[in-house]
Amino acid sequence: MSALDVTFVTADRTVWTGEAAQVVVPAVDGSMGILPQMQPTLAILGTGTVRIIDQSGHVEQLAVEGGFVSVDSDVVTIGVDDARPVESADSRI
Amino acid sequence: MGAQQRVYKQKIRSAQGMKKIFKAKEMVAASRIAKAHARVEATTPYADALTRAIGSVATHSDEISHPFLDSERRQSGRAGILMITADRGMTGPYSHNVIRAAEQLANTLRDQGKEPVMYVVGRKGDSYYRFRNRPPHRAWTPYKENELPALGREIASVLTADLLAEDDSTHLDELYVVGTEFKTRFLQNTKSIRMVPMGLVEAEQGGPRPSFPLYAFTPDADTVVEELMPRYIESRIINILLQAMASEHASTQRAMKTATDNAETQIRKFTRLANSARQAEITQEITEIVGGADALSGSGRTER
Repeated sequence: MSALDVTFVTADRTVWTGEAAQVVVPAVDGSMGILPQMQPTLAILGTGTVRIIDQSGHVEQLAVEGGFVSVDSDVVTIGVDDARPVESADSRI
Repeated sequence: MGAQQRVYKQKIRSAQGMKKIFKAKEMVAASRIAKAHARVEATTPYADALTRAIGSVATHSDEISHPFLDSERRQSGRAGILMITADRGMTGPYSHNVIRAAEQLANTLRDQGKEPVMYVVGRKGDSYYRFRNRPPHRAWTPYKENELPALGREIASVLTADLLAEDDSTHLDELYVVGTEFKTRFLQNTKSIRMVPMGLVEAEQGGPRPSFPLYAFTPDADTVVEELMPRYIESRIINILLQAMASEHASTQRAMKTATDNAETQIRKFTRLANSARQAEITQEITEIVGGADALSGSGRTER
């Protein structure tokens, strides 16, 4: 299975880069899951949590407030103003 | 020690004192360039991502319209100029270059029948206009180096509001930014950029265009552009501010290097003069003694 090449940037730094199996972002009109082979999409983000799930199932969670995400042939770029890591009790799915 | 020598010694001491200050400022600036440059670099991925996103929206949906993309913006005849200068002095020609470029731009705009409106960052630019009795429309000063991103956000929100204003007394038709581009620590360019209306790069039109995929927009293309545009302006302004900061440090370093070298030249010069003054004094003293001895021997007296 192919993987997603994820780049997560804020206005002044790169927060996270790497490969992921699945990314869940809070789009303005509801949560949006991104899997490999998804059609190219450009979406505006609302307020919520971005979840990046890597191949081994480890989950990276970041709270964001506004931003955008672009998906293009398995390259996912998430750009937000500010991101804070979220401490989660359940970091494994 | 003669009066002349004393004066030279004093001058040497004062030049030495100044040299120490210049040297210290030079080293501070040099150490800050790297940091400032790293900050510029850190904003690049975000800016790139944003530019790509906007580019792909614009190439795909020909029907999208946004006030910032409209090349025929004519409402109030006002054109905003955001000028980025230094807060401090001792930066060499840095601020003056920016001011000169901004004035040139303002004159060009006036020739075109537009009314330039100044938005100034930095004390140097602000005082330039205040001194000439035409205070800028808006000035942000003083600013702190580590708060530049926040400042950039504030400036961007003010400018975006003015660009979109309905009221003719605040509305801006166009927006220009005059700042300094940081290429390397040895090369910085003063640049005037037109930010709004945005010209989409048509250069690629001729060759094979990068095959942007056909994007699906969530929720829809217009909303996406509307959301991305202010972000783009914001990220560009922050980037320009950070570049200007790095350039300011580079300029300071160069100016202080020259000042240090000049102080050294001064010290050398005054040391030479002091030496020759001392030598002259000694020579004179010897001449007086020899002359006195000659006079005594010439008088024929053998005992003292």
